[in-house]
Amino acid sequence: MAANRKDIPTIDSTELKELTDKLITSCHILDHEGVTDGYGHVGVRVPGADAFITIANISPGSVTRDRLIMQDFAGNHLDGAATPPNEWPIHACIFKARPEIVSIAHTHSKWSTIFSVLPIKLKPLHHYGKFLSADGPPVYEGVGLVRTIERGNDLAAALGDGPAVLMRAHGDAVVGESIEQMIERTTRLAMLGEWNHLALLHGQPKYLSAEELEVYNADQKFPLRGWEYFVSRLKSKLE
Amino acid sequence: MAASDYKGPAFDSSELKELKAKVVNACLILDSEGITDGFGHVSVRIPEQAALLTIAQVSPGCAALDKLVLLDFDGNYLGGAQPAPYEWPIHACIMKARPDVNSVCHTHSKWSALFSVLKKGLRPAHMYGRFLPVGGAPVYPNAGLITSVERGNALADTLKDGAATLLRAHGDAVVGASVEQAILRTVQLAFLGELAHLAAVHGGPDYLTEGELATFAGDRSFPARPWEYFLSRLGERRV
Repeated sequence: MAANRKDIPTIDSTELKELTDKLITSCHILDHEGVTDGYGHVGVRVPGADAFITIANISPGSVTRDRLIMQDFAGNHLDGAATPPNEWPIHACIFKARPEIVSIAHTHSKWSTIFSVLPIKLKPLHHYGKFLSADGPPVYEGVGLVRTIERGNDLAAALGDGPAVLMRAHGDAVVGESIEQMIERTTRLAMLGEWNHLALLHGQPKYLSAEELEVYNADQKFPLRGWEYFVSRLKSKLE
Repeated sequence: MAASDYKGPAFDSSELKELKAKVVNACLILDSEGITDGFGHVSVRIPEQAALLTIAQVSPGCAALDKLVLLDFDGNYLGGAQPAPYEWPIHACIMKARPDVNSVCHTHSKWSALFSVLKKGLRPAHMYGRFLPVGGAPVYPNAGLITSVERGNALADTLKDGAATLLRAHGDAVVGASVEQAILRTVQLAFLGELAHLAAVHGGPDYLTEGELATFAGDRSFPARPWEYFLSRLGERRV
């Protein structure tokens, strides 16, 4: 299917091949690692355009190339599958507000969901949480699926300039400057949620302070290594 | 970094063949037993040398014979894949301080990470914990990856003459007189963590006393038996 705008490459163009392959792989990783259930999606920005590609009404674990869709930030259909996901404004509004962001995951992660409805916050207690602030990710308190630009903008406002936002009784939205970084953060947010849950059984854990996180922040991050590992775990599924 | 005066077997020599396979299998075991995620490493001392073999910036679950690196205790590169892991000082500094140690495992084990931020520590509630002090494994209290000899020495100081130390908000470092023993202890440490956590649901375990632990400690452990078992569970992944 040809794109509706001549200045933007099509989903199946060689130009976007690597990006779309990675998008599909990232959805399968989130499924395989137990972060997504039948819902959720990953979005990637089309380089240099006010447009993004995501998956169209299919579970992340079932996604194939013919289920990708390209839209602009106003929700206009540009290419690919006909029906956009209900919550396309999550991607459109965050990409619009955050020019540095390349990829967004929206999941119903069990661990994000649980901390979205607890009075106690999900906070870093492992250096995997170094991408978060010491008091943890904010919670978007709006109720209802993010199906309108208005809600999308509210969500982007709750995210601010952060890496992740929990969504009340719903899940999370996690952003990255690459697909690999988005995957690292989304999987780690789930791990941190689980570890917070385990730790709280024993009383108040000794969370990492802002100063301690800063020490880790000076250290290197390795999103490519995690990506390579997750892909290796997918192999058995794909073969 | 001083030039190396390493006089041991070359990286590609047949003398190192067996040790190389052992390190790779040890990494794969920690992955398949659910101890490591995308991070962590296992090392082995080169007999009679101030040098070690470990994996080179690859996930333990993706370890392979062509992803090993040979380093001296100052971090000098002596052969194999590059670059060396960022936290090579964990291995070098502990082996330097502990002539009895021939293998070191560093993991981000969920259970070690958990107890590293709890106030009461990880204490033995099962005879598998006979390699631990009755008061529990010590905790290296500092933030930051162990990327310098200074931090490596501080970690070795925390470990002292023990078998395992937790690393605050990070994971653990576990040592053994052999790779088999280091692996067995690492797996058992995770088991002990899970057990202590489960017992906490019921009000906390009746931990082993000093006297009880000493009785168990009088028994010998059989690291070769679980090693054979773990290898069998690797199936076709083993090298």
